[in-house]
Amino acid sequence: MENVSGIDSPSQASSARAPEQLRFTGSGAEYFGIWIVNLLLTIVTVGIYSAWAKVRRLQYFYRHTELAGSSFDFHGSPIKILIGRVIALVMLFAYNFSVRLHSPLTIVVVVGLAVAIPWLLRNSFRFRLYNSSWRGTRFHFRGSVATSYRVFLLNGFLTLITLYVMAPFMHQRLKAYQHGNSWFGRTRFSFHARAGQFYQIYLLLLAAIVAFVIVISEAGIGGAFTALFQMQKQGGRVDPHTVIKILFILYGALILLGILIGPIFHALITNLIWNNTRLGEHRIECNMSPFVLIWITFSNLVLVVLTLGLFIPWAGVRLARFQLEAMRLLPASDLQEFVAAEPEAIGAVGEETASMFDFDISL
Amino acid sequence: MLQANYFDGHSTRVRAVNLSVVGEDLVISGEDIELRVPFADVKVDERLGRAPRRLRLKDGSFCEVRDLDALNALLSSTAHRDGWVDRMQRHLQFVLFSCVACLVFAVAAYKWGLPWAAAQVAQHLPPEIGKTLSVQALKILDGGILMPSKIAAERQQVLSAEFRALRLPEGGTPDSALLFRGSPQLGGNAFTLPDGTIVVLDDLITSIDDDQQTLAVLAHELGHAHGRHGLQLLLQSSAVGAFWAFYIGDISHLLAAAPAAVVQARYSQDLEQQADDYAAALLMHNGMSPALLADALKKLAKCRPACANEGYLSTHPSTDERMRRLRLLAASFTAK
Repeated sequence: MENVSGIDSPSQASSARAPEQLRFTGSGAEYFGIWIVNLLLTIVTVGIYSAWAKVRRLQYFYRHTELAGSSFDFHGSPIKILIGRVIALVMLFAYNFSVRLHSPLTIVVVVGLAVAIPWLLRNSFRFRLYNSSWRGTRFHFRGSVATSYRVFLLNGFLTLITLYVMAPFMHQRLKAYQHGNSWFGRTRFSFHARAGQFYQIYLLLLAAIVAFVIVISEAGIGGAFTALFQMQKQGGRVDPHTVIKILFILYGALILLGILIGPIFHALITNLIWNNTRLGEHRIECNMSPFVLIWITFSNLVLVVLTLGLFIPWAGVRLARFQLEAMRLLPASDLQEFVAAEPEAIGAVGEETASMFDFDISL
Repeated sequence: MLQANYFDGHSTRVRAVNLSVVGEDLVISGEDIELRVPFADVKVDERLGRAPRRLRLKDGSFCEVRDLDALNALLSSTAHRDGWVDRMQRHLQFVLFSCVACLVFAVAAYKWGLPWAAAQVAQHLPPEIGKTLSVQALKILDGGILMPSKIAAERQQVLSAEFRALRLPEGGTPDSALLFRGSPQLGGNAFTLPDGTIVVLDDLITSIDDDQQTLAVLAHELGHAHGRHGLQLLLQSSAVGAFWAFYIGDISHLLAAAPAAVVQARYSQDLEQQADDYAAALLMHNGMSPALLADALKKLAKCRPACANEGYLSTHPSTDERMRRLRLLAASFTAK
């Protein structure tokens, strides 16, 4: 048989062992009780309990995730997370306040943030991985601070000045930094996806957006806009109802765009990333269907809005089950042979600050 | 006897073991392992649904247990007690109570908490922020929906002079700027920017056609400026936007922008009443009757269909009730 891609056919050694499927055993109803009680405690304690709630949420999801008959675990300390949150909150206020002021101080704060963010993101990776374990062996992130500046600051700057032409390249470098410096115990992960593969997916996404915009303008929104501009030019009165109608179509189109294209992109890029990530000799397979993801995202959104948020636990469990069960580990040797590394001392400042400023590091 | 998997914390090796409690001790026995530790030194994970629970020993090793019922039976023979949060999470009545309490809290926060917080922030925000916001807002409005006023310059000057001469109940004269603009879309309207600048539209002046009554409307706007209602409203709507972004953001970042457009700026009944009360006090302080404002409202209500779609009153709910209150105040004014 001819081997075309060279990557997709497993070697003799690994095909000898059965693939290990990730399994998620949580249930929405079960998680609902945990979620709502922790939400109430968070409200009653004016947010302080949220750190404990977060740990419990992560533990719920980690401990219900199984590989080869053993579950994962999360070890983050609520107190550390609370301290991280306080610092993050102070930074967020300083940022918002200074941005609104439009004074020279703004520049200082923005530059300060730009300098701090790569360091914070790296700490965030470190915290998250170090506090994750499977079979009592922890994960580690050992990317250097210097590289984090190159990956986030330099590449981010290049992306901006090339008007996002380099965005796929930056994405590839980011994942190479993140996955290539991750360890499970003393076994290192490696990342093999090339920038060209990222470009393919980004171009597909771009084509989809262009097609979508054409369809939408055909559907009449373009005509409505032209009419509106003409009315304004002639100094005539613009009917507010037309404006509202156009706004609704516009927002509807944006939401539709997000619901359709967001999940397709997420599924394709996640598949690419995990299919090209290895743990030592062990290969990983990820086969997430973009169309099922669209359905789950859309139905979750509708149900969360209709139930005033009460559906959130079910939505989270559904999404986690779908995403996790799309992944398999193809072991090259016995999974009993991983060895743990030395313990580390890691604070949660990065983790909390990064999530406060809403950086998505899950991709 | 309870079956479990033992992990030493140094490797991923799985060892099948049996757990039992003997006296005060936990006994772990299985393939090449035989341990006996005081149960007081064992940390038992809290229950999280049907997730496996771990019994952690001091040296970092642990036993992963899947048979939760058997574990509960084993724990019942020890001094172990479930944590209070654990018990609450599994208590149906408490879960239902939490549900109701969270929903009540969300509604209350939206209805009272948010306006209150926005008012507090609005009172304490440095004036430059309101200034910057207003300059930008006016720039945008002037570039689109607002046009230069067609009211004769002399009449504008007279109105401005009268406005400047008003004595405020708290002392001094208005430091709000008064701007004249026209807008076919907005019709008979007047509004206050976050820094207290008052914009009065041509249609309002022409449809009231009485400077004293127009001044009464301006007094009402001064009430909004005095209470910093414009800034409060702005903070409120941006907080709603931020909340939705956060709330929905967990699932997707889509709806973030939409609510800002839907939850459009409208003063609450309460803020209108505050502004009316201020206007009444101001008018009486200047020897004018609060009835002037009631008359102005009446005229605006009457010409409403002709005064364009979105008139002054559409943002001011329950006009009848407001006129009744103002006339009552006026009656006490004339009685004096």
